[in-house]
Amino acid sequence: MARWLGALAGAILLALLPVLLGFQPYALYLLASAFLWASVASAWNLLAYAGQISFGHAAFFGLGAYAGALSSLAGLSPWGAVLLGGLAGAGGAALIGLASQRLRGAYLALATLAYAEVCRGIVLNWSDVTGGGAGLIGIPALPAMAWLPAPITRGRAAGYYAALAILLAVLVLFALILRSRVGLAWAAVREEEARASVLGLRPLPWKLLAFALSGAFTGLGGALYAHLVRVVEPDLVFNRYYSILPLVMATFGGLHTLLGPAAAAVGLFLLSELVLHPIDPALNQLGYALALILGVLYWPGGLMGLLGRRRRVHP
Amino acid sequence: MVGLLGPNGSGKSTLFDVLGGLLTPTAGEVWFRGERVTGRPPWVIGRLGLGRTFQIPRPFAGLSVLDSVLVGVTFRRRDRYRRTADRRREAERLLVLVGLGDKCGARATELSLGQMKRLELAMALSSRPSLLFLDELASGLSPRGREDVLLFYGRLRERGLTIFAIEHAFGVLARVADRMLVLDQGQIVADGPPAAVLASARVAEAYLGEEDP
Repeated sequence: MARWLGALAGAILLALLPVLLGFQPYALYLLASAFLWASVASAWNLLAYAGQISFGHAAFFGLGAYAGALSSLAGLSPWGAVLLGGLAGAGGAALIGLASQRLRGAYLALATLAYAEVCRGIVLNWSDVTGGGAGLIGIPALPAMAWLPAPITRGRAAGYYAALAILLAVLVLFALILRSRVGLAWAAVREEEARASVLGLRPLPWKLLAFALSGAFTGLGGALYAHLVRVVEPDLVFNRYYSILPLVMATFGGLHTLLGPAAAAVGLFLLSELVLHPIDPALNQLGYALALILGVLYWPGGLMGLLGRRRRVHP
Repeated sequence: MVGLLGPNGSGKSTLFDVLGGLLTPTAGEVWFRGERVTGRPPWVIGRLGLGRTFQIPRPFAGLSVLDSVLVGVTFRRRDRYRRTADRRREAERLLVLVGLGDKCGARATELSLGQMKRLELAMALSSRPSLLFLDELASGLSPRGREDVLLFYGRLRERGLTIFAIEHAFGVLARVADRMLVLDQGQIVADGPPAAVLASARVAEAYLGEEDP
């Protein structure tokens, strides 16, 4: 109960943060982007909890971005378009999971990387629909929330709260899953798939569920991103960063922990944008590189491990 | 209870893997409860009522001892929609049965070899099997540990389970098995009551090699 109350207090604080920041547009954009990365890192961690290591989350991000952009440009409400992006991410991820069902470990990771490149290639060449290399522009912005007090309707507030909502949703879902039979199935498949199968657990449906949920939240992030920057192109939204950085963030934050990946994502993103990039744009990725080295060589449990929280034993 | 003996590399554990669906045979068929199960995945055969342990324990390293048993209790075919509390109580009862009642919260990897073998047994029982494959429960254990395993064999028989057990030590199986099979290089070289099998020259040859002419 105390943990849930603490989480609620944290959520309320984050909801009030724009007020404390005076709704400064750049700050809201920065935080919205940080929360988007935190959502994608948490979504990646969710799939990793089920033992499926993905190098292809760019596929789900890009599918969500394009599905959201195309539907929004076709006249669907931007909020509906964002949800559709989530569905596209879920569907694409489930298909990739189904196609990769016989693969494990490094082979699975490489296959997801390949599928992400295939998706990028299709979008790049299907120019009649996707605009090809030029992409799509003029994606409608998220509508101002007219029913809220005036300051909320300005600038980046809608994007901030949408990104926060996606992040809280994935964290709450993960917390619930950890205490459910879904989490038990995922942990068993991750630890010893053959052993779990002998006990009557059929691995494939649980793996596909993990792919679909992870793809859904990543797709939501992609669709929201499309409506924040209002342009999509293959090299932007299918960029390998959306595959590699969530892995780095989750590893540095603490694999399989609830808050580690999200905390690491926010910290590393803000470090990159506020400290390293202003010093020299070439240093932009240095933080992520150092985080990966530290995580692999010295802190296998990530930040959560340093705080004394062991890699999660399924409760 | 049927015992399966054989020298190292004779194919005992491989036979279990084939029968249990972890390996697909290149020839022959596997039938279980009147159903052809050759090549069916392990979860199908597990749900039909086969439970097994592994020669080298394969615990769920990231799970607690209780949750390791909860997997089988939760995902077996029968009554899998019961409440969480009921499933946890059943898992705890199984752990008490194998003498691990005080280890529920421990990680599976914190157990000794003997305790891990008990956990293997509890996990095998968690799916409520009608046929139990036990792979070298007694190997690597002290004489006291082997006596405990004999006690478990007796208790399992009392529960009405059909048991197919692999052991290295003749003495362990001879005391509890109704029938013994001996495997050598993938072939059954003896099949019958324990006393007759143990007295067989062919069995001695399988273990000790041919006599010099």
